[in-house]
Amino acid sequence: MIAPIDVHAVLQESVPGPYADLVTRPTGRAVRERIERALTDATVATMDFTGVRCIDYSCADEIVAKLLRSVQILLLQGITDAHRLAIEPVLQGHGLAVVIQTGTLLEVLGPPEAAEAVCERLIERRLAERTAGGTLALTAA
Amino acid sequence: MTRLVDVPQQFDDRSFEQFASSFAQGAAGGERLLFDAHATEWASPYGFVALLVAGQAVQGAGRERPLLTIPANPRVLSYWTRAGFFQQAQALFEIHGKVPKIKPAEESDVLLPVTAVRAAEDVHQVVSHIQQRATAILTSQLGIDPKATVGFAMALSEACQNIVEHAGTGGWVAVQRYEWKRRLSKKVVVIAVGDAGVGFRHTLEPTQSKRFGDRWGDGAALEAALIQGTSRFRDPGRGQGLKGIRSYLSRWDGKIAIRSGSARIAIAPSWDDDAPLTEGLSAFPGSQVLLIIPEQGTGTS
Repeated sequence: MIAPIDVHAVLQESVPGPYADLVTRPTGRAVRERIERALTDATVATMDFTGVRCIDYSCADEIVAKLLRSVQILLLQGITDAHRLAIEPVLQGHGLAVVIQTGTLLEVLGPPEAAEAVCERLIERRLAERTAGGTLALTAA
Repeated sequence: MTRLVDVPQQFDDRSFEQFASSFAQGAAGGERLLFDAHATEWASPYGFVALLVAGQAVQGAGRERPLLTIPANPRVLSYWTRAGFFQQAQALFEIHGKVPKIKPAEESDVLLPVTAVRAAEDVHQVVSHIQQRATAILTSQLGIDPKATVGFAMALSEACQNIVEHAGTGGWVAVQRYEWKRRLSKKVVVIAVGDAGVGFRHTLEPTQSKRFGDRWGDGAALEAALIQGTSRFRDPGRGQGLKGIRSYLSRWDGKIAIRSGSARIAIAPSWDDDAPLTEGLSAFPGSQVLLIIPEQGTGTS
């Protein structure tokens, strides 16, 4: 796993102007392509959305859904309720799931079947373990 | 010879058909068009955008630059100027009358002056602007949860992107807050987005016309896009934009209406009596999207 990708910084590099919003397909495409270049062949990636004010459906589709074509596990940090608003329906539409990381706690977001598959992958790779309360937590490195 | 196109006295989505009919008749002939707004007393964002779309269509058809007589009422004229209408109109119309020199939109009711949308960069600017201007109004005056104001920006972004992605030409967006005393007894925020592009039917025809068979037309295309979430792309990630707008409006008891070609579709909440689908209207260029979000929590009249 490589260091978290600072999505806000990638956005700033991808569009002219100091925008904090991930909107429009061309922007989503530009951001994703930069992230893909940084990821090379990684199968697990962490993206930090801190500083991103708004993400629309088009960008959620271009970035999150399309990255999941090459990445098996996508951990998202700094996710707000507003981000979820766009990401969740996109995941539903594609039958995909991502992992939301808050501190050491993990939440898998997506339709049940895809979410379960991601859970199993996390545990298999010893990236996460189930807590006594039944939730998922990052394994101590 | 000039041909008169009447601009309604109260120009909004409800009087739009009167304008569309007058425009269709005018556009059918070869004469120069004169858009007559001298008696207009009020225009909503939908009216502003519709007028610009008509001007754009005339320009796109390679016809002589149309004339536009400005409202005679100085108060109305001042408002049109503050709403940013003339800044956009001057490229499309030969304007008759003296437009006051006022900077557009520093007042709170104009959340977004009439703004051109041609590329993704414009959508970024619109979304950025609206989040800085609208949050306070949406939360304090409309009672929308502060967290949900980002959803408002998302809806606006998706509506504008329809122009960039599908219209094949530029368009406009405008957002305004109103006190709807007679119609609803509430404050509302109205978003209007329009273009003189190819319209929904043309966009969806290659992938959807066979599925609809004889029913295929402007109405079926609107139904496919808005109700079924169909996109011209086969990618399952496409078509999420309108679905997302619907979901946001449903959460906040809002309304969406789209007019394209000769049809109009609406998903109206209980406070509105708009028809779900109207076909056989006067042909009008491109697409016009109307979003209305009412004040929350005080009951509807």
